[in-house]
Amino acid sequence: MGAVADRSYDRLPEYNPLGMPLDWAWLRGVGSEWGVRPKPSARGLTMMDIAVGSYGEVPEQPQHRSMAPRGCDIDGETPDMGYILNRKSQVWSENVAELYEEAVARQWSATRDIPWGELRELPDDIEHAICQLCTTLSEIEMIAADLPAKWMWRMNHDFVEAKMFLCTQIMDEARHTEVFRKRALANGGGLLKSRSGASSLLRTIIEAKTYTQASALMHLLGEGFILDVFRQGELIAPTDVEKKIFRMAMQDEARHVAYGTLHIRYSIEHDPDVAEEIHEALDHGEGVLMEFGTQPDLTTAIALLLAGSADDVEEKGFPMQQAMAVKLLTSYLARCERAGLNRLERTLLPVEMLGIDRQQGIPAA
Amino acid sequence: MTEGNRIDSVDFFDSLAANMNSRPTEYEVLGDVDIDLGLLMRRRDDGDFRLRLRFEGIECTGVAEAEDGDEKLADCYLDGDIDAWQAMFDDIADNGRAVGRQTINSLTLVGEAIRVRGDDPLGIDKFFRYNQTMQAFLDGAAQLASAGAG
Repeated sequence: MGAVADRSYDRLPEYNPLGMPLDWAWLRGVGSEWGVRPKPSARGLTMMDIAVGSYGEVPEQPQHRSMAPRGCDIDGETPDMGYILNRKSQVWSENVAELYEEAVARQWSATRDIPWGELRELPDDIEHAICQLCTTLSEIEMIAADLPAKWMWRMNHDFVEAKMFLCTQIMDEARHTEVFRKRALANGGGLLKSRSGASSLLRTIIEAKTYTQASALMHLLGEGFILDVFRQGELIAPTDVEKKIFRMAMQDEARHVAYGTLHIRYSIEHDPDVAEEIHEALDHGEGVLMEFGTQPDLTTAIALLLAGSADDVEEKGFPMQQAMAVKLLTSYLARCERAGLNRLERTLLPVEMLGIDRQQGIPAA
Repeated sequence: MTEGNRIDSVDFFDSLAANMNSRPTEYEVLGDVDIDLGLLMRRRDDGDFRLRLRFEGIECTGVAEAEDGDEKLADCYLDGDIDAWQAMFDDIADNGRAVGRQTINSLTLVGEAIRVRGDDPLGIDKFFRYNQTMQAFLDGAAQLASAGAG
């Protein structure tokens, strides 16, 4: 139903005091829907609540390429913003509005919500290992902000919920960079070693040719990996300070992975040809991730923390690390399958070395 | 030990739910949750104890004992030996919250004492998306203990 006004408004001025012509079309009735009145749900008025009538219809291929809000009466002369992602399947996921609301509701502050006052002096090797882990994480987290920023301005504005969610991801990653930098500096240590492995991974992600390839590399592969690193971080945290840091960051990361998993699924369901280009990106990305995941600084720091001291790395640290690698790989392969990608048959990751039989399928969680 | 003190009882989890729902200020800062979580406590003698917990917004809105296999209908479920569950709750009671490797994330990451399971990876990932809230809910057992109910 168009926005037909209740009154005629036929006695409005035609010119302003400076003699410029006026247009009262917005008041007299336009072609957008009027009177929808969505009802707030228990926690307030959500994006899902306002997805009513024509406002809830997200076109597969929008007619316009302007920043006009979806559902309004768009003037035909609005400029083309130069969007290149004009198909819904290129950016959408079925859970994106829910994830946006969740992200907004679950924001936290690295300044206020971490009990920094509870930091205590740690053994030298443990403090060094925590600082090395935080150095690496502080380096790599910002890629998940840079990557969406690279693509968002190219996304058609009718997919605004996806853009809004990616804005929350950018904020999340800024906070992760912040919190790991703060932790590295907060307890008498500092930032330690950075090597080329991290940058190779980050370049692979940022230089992906399409957004969907980039999303597969970042959300499914990279953030899936980091989600497990955060889980390990919570396990090996020497104090409640680090435990809280890793739990809060884990929550954010899992949200990003949830978007990526269902974005890839939506993309493949609506454009099956895209599956092969995603596979190709992951073929390369998994190799680079292996290089990064096995780089000496990250693996030794985590192994030392798992062991509890430098003296027990070989006996305790490395075996625990290997056991967790199986879980990490299993989670990744299961998410790929959920996204519509069978990676088990194709991956060059060392699944056999980790005890996974390709013929048997992905071990159940 | 009374029925309400046993961790493998609906009463115990009803108390945890009531504890969560009485502390909206603490859970508001953690943010909204939307998860159907199953629990499976494997007992030696009495058959296994199964529970479904429903979390919505900042509340635990449902606590119900589940039939055999119904835990699999949840987004994900936590499956462990009763001794592992008891050790976790004892640690919470002793320390005021789970510490070290007795946090629910740590327990589900190392070994097989308690596992996070489910058919849908996205359902399992919800356990990570709401992990701080889940931990706070379980840590509520310390308040029950100090109040003499745990």
